[in-house]
Amino acid sequence: MSVAKKVVLAPLDPVHDIGLKMIRRGLDKAGHSTTLFPPDYSPQEIVNGIIEHEADVVLISRTLGYGVEEILAKFVDLVDAAGIRDRVKLGVGGMAIRAELAAELGFDEGFGPGTPMEAAVAFVEGREYVPPKAGAQRDKFDVVGASPYNWKNNSIKGLLDQIAQQIISWSEDKSSPGIERAKIREEIIRLEDMGKDASQLKKEYASLSDEVISDSYLKGTIHPQTRRLEQSELDSLKQYVERTQARMNPTNVRHTLDKPGVFSQYGTGCPFMDIAHIKVAEGWGADGVIHFDPSWGARTEGFMEGYLTHQQDGSVITPQNLQAIKDALMGSTLWQVRAHRGLNTPETVVLAGHSGADLTKINICYGALGAGTEPARLTVDGVESIKLAAKYNLPFDVVTNEELCGVPAHKAFAGMLIVANLGLILGAQPILQPLFCYSPEVMINETMADNYIDFNAAKILALREIIDAPIWPGAPIGFLTQSEERVQSSVSTGLHAALAASLGVNAISIATSDEAYSGGPIAAASRVDTLKAVKENFRFFGQAKIEPTPRAQQWAAEMVTQIEEVLRNVVEIGDFVDAMYKGALGTRDEGAYPGRAGKDTVSGVK
Amino acid sequence: MTQDLDRIVDALDIETFIVCRDEEEGMEIMRRIMGNMGLKDIDIVFCQHLGPGARVRARGYIFRSGDHYGWLKEETQA
Repeated sequence: MSVAKKVVLAPLDPVHDIGLKMIRRGLDKAGHSTTLFPPDYSPQEIVNGIIEHEADVVLISRTLGYGVEEILAKFVDLVDAAGIRDRVKLGVGGMAIRAELAAELGFDEGFGPGTPMEAAVAFVEGREYVPPKAGAQRDKFDVVGASPYNWKNNSIKGLLDQIAQQIISWSEDKSSPGIERAKIREEIIRLEDMGKDASQLKKEYASLSDEVISDSYLKGTIHPQTRRLEQSELDSLKQYVERTQARMNPTNVRHTLDKPGVFSQYGTGCPFMDIAHIKVAEGWGADGVIHFDPSWGARTEGFMEGYLTHQQDGSVITPQNLQAIKDALMGSTLWQVRAHRGLNTPETVVLAGHSGADLTKINICYGALGAGTEPARLTVDGVESIKLAAKYNLPFDVVTNEELCGVPAHKAFAGMLIVANLGLILGAQPILQPLFCYSPEVMINETMADNYIDFNAAKILALREIIDAPIWPGAPIGFLTQSEERVQSSVSTGLHAALAASLGVNAISIATSDEAYSGGPIAAASRVDTLKAVKENFRFFGQAKIEPTPRAQQWAAEMVTQIEEVLRNVVEIGDFVDAMYKGALGTRDEGAYPGRAGKDTVSGVK
Repeated sequence: MTQDLDRIVDALDIETFIVCRDEEEGMEIMRRIMGNMGLKDIDIVFCQHLGPGARVRARGYIFRSGDHYGWLKEETQA
């Protein structure tokens, strides 16, 4: 330690001295001798006190903004007049202080709002304050954790096993263009990694793709809605990432909580803009980011190659785009590449695995009933994708977005549990993703007429009565509760995050405060809004819990019974694909329309 | 100013309270203000009129996805 100093701390303020008390604690801890004056001293009394205590350093605080310049100037004048200016170091801090103002008034140092205590201690000790090293890395958040995947409801587990065996046996001798392309892609990557020519394989790949994709391989054209990023842009991106990474010092949103991990979804349309948004999310404390692809990508057979951008929602998946994004991530950032719903589901898992993603997303039922892919196609592709997720060690969440179409939660959950159980049997690590949302079912049944807590809590309680498994509500939490007004939107997200934390779930996906705005792309600043809101809620609640009303437990029990009924119905139908067509996992009236993309593309023999 | 705007990742939002008769007038005034500031790709993100006027948030996109972003270039002192 440096030589102990005599420090006088004086609030030039009618009431506020909290900051000085905190700094005093730090100085005492560092071995300095401190004297804290009460808040109502006049400038002259403070000067007299400095002389009396033979202070080496004086720290003045000023919180109130009115008259700040006059009173501080008067204080410095009095110090000069007393003839002690040469032997006393003067520092001033507080809400009303800016460094420029302090220097102008003759102080040695000015500490603005948010100055760390260590900076004040360094000033007292006459050394330069060195902030925590930028570019600091956090530990990667473990979403799956030590989940034992213990089934607690044997009756439901028995039904799920019957369904899984039927699905596995049905899909055993089947393939699809999506599966074949995934195999070719693995081979292309293998050859290119060895520096070998893969052009023949790419022709084969093109023959299994839609025309617009095929043309990109055979004629060098690209999808009309896309543009190739130029080499100069790629060079600039590399420098941008290096510059940004050097000053990253991410905040911790979780306060005293171990979980949930916080994920932010991106999909600006451009991998470069995605990276800019990702860096914002990382800086403001997100544990992970989720790659959101365009809807046309899910309905088109095949992926293009190259660095491609476009001006629509969702960013185009290409091997190069994914690699550029991966290369820009901090080492601690979890990265999920969604594969869940379209005609490229197996290949997306391959690309996710090879690009170094940590997680993926697969749900056969949502993809087939809410996102447009034909049920048989997505079943055969889904099984293959789950096997690939196991192969590449990618835990996957099983999202239940069909709820947003109008499918009741218990039916969506039955579908989710079917896929989750299938995942466990095939050696993968599924994560349950119930929606925290203001869904059509909720609106009709008025289960959120009083609060947003009970029905969301019921979902978690119901799932926990069935299985111990990681739970990751999404996506995003509070879906359809957010408005275009950013304060409301952020508060709603923050409170849903607090509920999720209170329920002890593993992770959450959060929206931006632009979630409900549809007039243009999401702005980067809106990511900060909700991350700050989540952080503030985690700070407010800490380890305290939100208490649902008894209705939550009652609805949870009903949900478990209903899930079992749905699964029994699927077993009775005897064929999973048929069950989807027959509405067992959501009827057309409920908004579950079997998809048509990829119809009649399942081939009989692999 | 142009160089400074280049540092904006995507959009410049301006939020304020406008004394006006109704939402429509509030949005109209806000659009004029944004236009007079030289912003071109403008939208009203949010507007709610209660009591004396409207709380309005307007947005001017500086860069949309797929543009050539100014912030990608080397940062220079303003």
